Amino acid sequence: MKTLRPSLPRFWSPLPRDKQDTLLLLASTVLVLLPHTAHLPLWVTLLCGATLVWRALLTLLGRRMPTNLVLAPMAIAAMAGVLQTYHTVLGRDAGVAMLVLLVAFKMLEMHARRDLFVVVFLCFFLVLTNFFYSQSIGTALLMLVSIVALLTTQLSFQLTGAVPPLRTRLLMGAKILALAAPLAAVGFILFPRVNGPLWGMPDDAHGASTGLSDTMAPGQFSSLAQSDDPAFRVKFDGPPPAQPQLYWRGPVLGAYDGRTWSRLTARPHLGSKAPQPVSISVRGDALRYQVTMEPSNMRWLFALEMPRALPQLSSGAASATPELELQASSPVRERIRYDLASYVDFSFQPGDTLDNAYQWLLLPYGRNPKALAAGQRLRQDYPEPLQRVQAVLRQFATQGYSYTLEPPLLGVDAVDEFLYDTRAGFCEHYAGAFVFLMRAAGIPARVVTGYQGGELNPIDGYFTVRQSDAHAWSEVWLPGRGWVRVDPTAAVAPDRVQRSLARALPAPAPFGFEGLGRLLQPAPDSLLARVRFAIGAANNGWNQWVLNYGPQRQHALMESLQDNLFSWRSAALLALACAVLLLGRKLSRQRREDPVDRLYSALCHRLGQLGLPRAPDEGPTAYAARVAGAALAPGPKAAAAEFLRRYSAWRYAPPAQPQFHGAGLPTILKELLSRVR
Amino acid sequence: MTDLAVARLPLGSRVFGWLRGRRSTWRERTTARDRGEVELNQRRVYVLPTRAGLGFSALLLALLVGSVNYSLGLGFGLTFVAAACGLVDMIAAYRNLAHLHLRPGRAGAVFAGEEAPFELLLANRTRLSRFALWVDIDTATDPRHAVDVPAGGGATVVLSGTSSRRGWMKAPRVRLATRFPLGLFNAWSYWQPDSRALVYPFPEQDAPPLPVSGHPSPDGAGSAGSDDFAGVRSYQPGDPLRQLAWRHIARLDPSLGGQLVTKQFEGGALDELVLDLDALPPRLDLELKLSRLARWVLEAELRALPYALRLGRQAIDAGLGPAHQAACLEALALYGSVDEAR
Repeated sequence: MKTLRPSLPRFWSPLPRDKQDTLLLLASTVLVLLPHTAHLPLWVTLLCGATLVWRALLTLLGRRMPTNLVLAPMAIAAMAGVLQTYHTVLGRDAGVAMLVLLVAFKMLEMHARRDLFVVVFLCFFLVLTNFFYSQSIGTALLMLVSIVALLTTQLSFQLTGAVPPLRTRLLMGAKILALAAPLAAVGFILFPRVNGPLWGMPDDAHGASTGLSDTMAPGQFSSLAQSDDPAFRVKFDGPPPAQPQLYWRGPVLGAYDGRTWSRLTARPHLGSKAPQPVSISVRGDALRYQVTMEPSNMRWLFALEMPRALPQLSSGAASATPELELQASSPVRERIRYDLASYVDFSFQPGDTLDNAYQWLLLPYGRNPKALAAGQRLRQDYPEPLQRVQAVLRQFATQGYSYTLEPPLLGVDAVDEFLYDTRAGFCEHYAGAFVFLMRAAGIPARVVTGYQGGELNPIDGYFTVRQSDAHAWSEVWLPGRGWVRVDPTAAVAPDRVQRSLARALPAPAPFGFEGLGRLLQPAPDSLLARVRFAIGAANNGWNQWVLNYGPQRQHALMESLQDNLFSWRSAALLALACAVLLLGRKLSRQRREDPVDRLYSALCHRLGQLGLPRAPDEGPTAYAARVAGAALAPGPKAAAAEFLRRYSAWRYAPPAQPQFHGAGLPTILKELLSRVR
Repeated sequence: MTDLAVARLPLGSRVFGWLRGRRSTWRERTTARDRGEVELNQRRVYVLPTRAGLGFSALLLALLVGSVNYSLGLGFGLTFVAAACGLVDMIAAYRNLAHLHLRPGRAGAVFAGEEAPFELLLANRTRLSRFALWVDIDTATDPRHAVDVPAGGGATVVLSGTSSRRGWMKAPRVRLATRFPLGLFNAWSYWQPDSRALVYPFPEQDAPPLPVSGHPSPDGAGSAGSDDFAGVRSYQPGDPLRQLAWRHIARLDPSLGGQLVTKQFEGGALDELVLDLDALPPRLDLELKLSRLARWVLEAELRALPYALRLGRQAIDAGLGPAHQAACLEALALYGSVDEAR
């Protein structure tokens, strides 16, 4: 049957070898440059594309490459363009753009074999620079494909005579990679890791990221709630605590200017009294867990309330403020991991007096008069501070307040408007208004921001805390009990704390279709959700073991390896593996030799033992003649002669005849061999 | 007993002795003549990085520094994959050369000063196809012959070594090298093929004419005459122009030097042509005599005059034809050497 052949080989095969190689190099370069187009300025992408197409046309048409007189002005113009776009040529992004342009122009200036290596090595480096922008599993797969393409190109250029088809060469490249993989894994695991950076990095080394800031203004949290990006992941050593206990403490905000809550920066002390030490008493067992935090570009570390000790970071010790905010010594610019233990049941500064309590009572002058008056009323109505707290929570729960992602805009007296007009808000509205009322009622109060909740991935047991879990709650100081967490949002929307944000909000209806919203927010046991969990677990494993495999993790792994390796069981396993390997090697070597040839060697060896070694230059026929004339018992002599006759007939059969010996020949020879004694 | 004796020696001299032993075995390995077929085992194959390989290690360093500095987890992955690919290339380059079987093939006979061809047979009895093997004599600066040896197949390379003097010429040491697959490492091996080429004496230029009447025949009528056309010989100054063999000159083999030839006429009985070493003027250098005889052998063959050769005790009866010529030239080539008896 006649089949249509694809047109590519027809077009491909008549090309001379060097042109095929050049086109292969072009294809590999395109593969390496392609992911860079996502972040490069459009003009760089277009210029590179045009240069590569130019090179391909020159190759196909057999034209000469442009001279340096043409190339040099182009290169200088491109450099000027980079300078114009990035205002530097030294930064990370500018450097990548320069490298990309360099590779493209180098393709037009390839004269010697050395230039091929230059291009391939630059391509390897460009694969690395792509990791500045993405280190996902997909990027890793693309990296492997690019490496195979580069290896194939490199080995194609080494060939001199016979050129195997492209498919075979690709297989050769893939084979090199496959053989390299275990070695690379060993290097990856065992190579001593150090903490970077080795030198100061350019300012654009870290991209912007979303996350909690250390201020709170209306609308800030609701925009965070739209982001599905993970903030951090948590793995508990024991059973995880219940969802309502998962308050991840972040920045504590005490200063209010009428619109924005921010941290107390100046800490004036009345008198010369030393600051009161922070006293905490805890009850019950500590929960142990490990937090893997995504880069936030901020110094805040998040911990379950209340952490027992400061976490140890690879970059140095963390510190804590008197408000028990945890801080790293420098902004978190890469994924970090820290171990913590926290007490869920605790008392925080449970004394009878609070130093500098006035700080937590300050309110902006002349704003929100209605709320101010309400607070003073509370103070008169309820002598006990706890009663005032409960009254406000009751007010939120019963007086038609609603929890929404899209609250109405608020004016100058934001708290008044929210409390008495709109009555709809997100967590920042409730936390802010609550603290305002408490301060007005004479109770020291402050806003605590952080995250609340998290999603348990049943596949790997990790809690994922996303940006959408960002939350604001409040703390009030009650004499004798200390700082007490009060979450006014829980009074309005208990589901937010009990389960998750998605359950607390009304189901979204994208494009007006209710069903679509349910599809995008699948039930936790649906197939879609399970797929999502599986992908999440894979990503988390990737982050934990590949991207974030640092000195700490390496140390821990080595220790566990040491424990597991130095036992008799593993030693026995190792010995067994070695034995199997050696045996397999020996067998395969034996199989490689033709059985007839092996029998011939055995015969020569045996005759040698009988005093008739074969001379190195002796063929079987000459050997047979010598054996026939030697003093040997007639039985073995006849057998040896017959053996050599048959061997010689087989070995020197004319090539036209089939080279394969009959199935019986080895058997016959073996039988004859056994008679030579 | 000997072990005890060795153990009593001071450590320094023992180490020195061991090193000396190692060195001599190394020298033996690299220069000894390899009898018959040779397999390139791991003791014979050497591997070193090429200049591109050094560049690759610089690339690896750059990748590592970039990964550390920017804490790129995947960058570490790329670095180690690239490094491992380099190591795999080292092993692959070694395997591309190792376990090849080498056998000397035929070696042609040449005149001194010509390039002697040596045929080398490469057999690949493994299941691994070998690509881009560069083969040349050791002294060549740039290898000129590249071959591929398919799995279970073979290849033939003909190398040439410049011959200098007559006699047996040993095959020069052969260097096999490969940079396949990635060009980062150069694996090479030396092989001294057990093969030799016969080098004939250089045929003398401007030799005197064939001694057609080397010995006066008993009837005294064997001198050169002008009656019968007997053949042609090299032009000698003083030959009359009308005796030049123009037709011969037109189709003359350039191997004779493209010289003019003169028609030779003989009168009387045709004498047997005997090329006798002892008949040459005794004051001539032996090599020059052999050189002249070689020229005469070629000339006699060209003129189809049966000729005999006498070299002292050795005598080859008169004859004609390529086999006879080869036998005569071989006798000339080996005259006075230990192989003369062959």
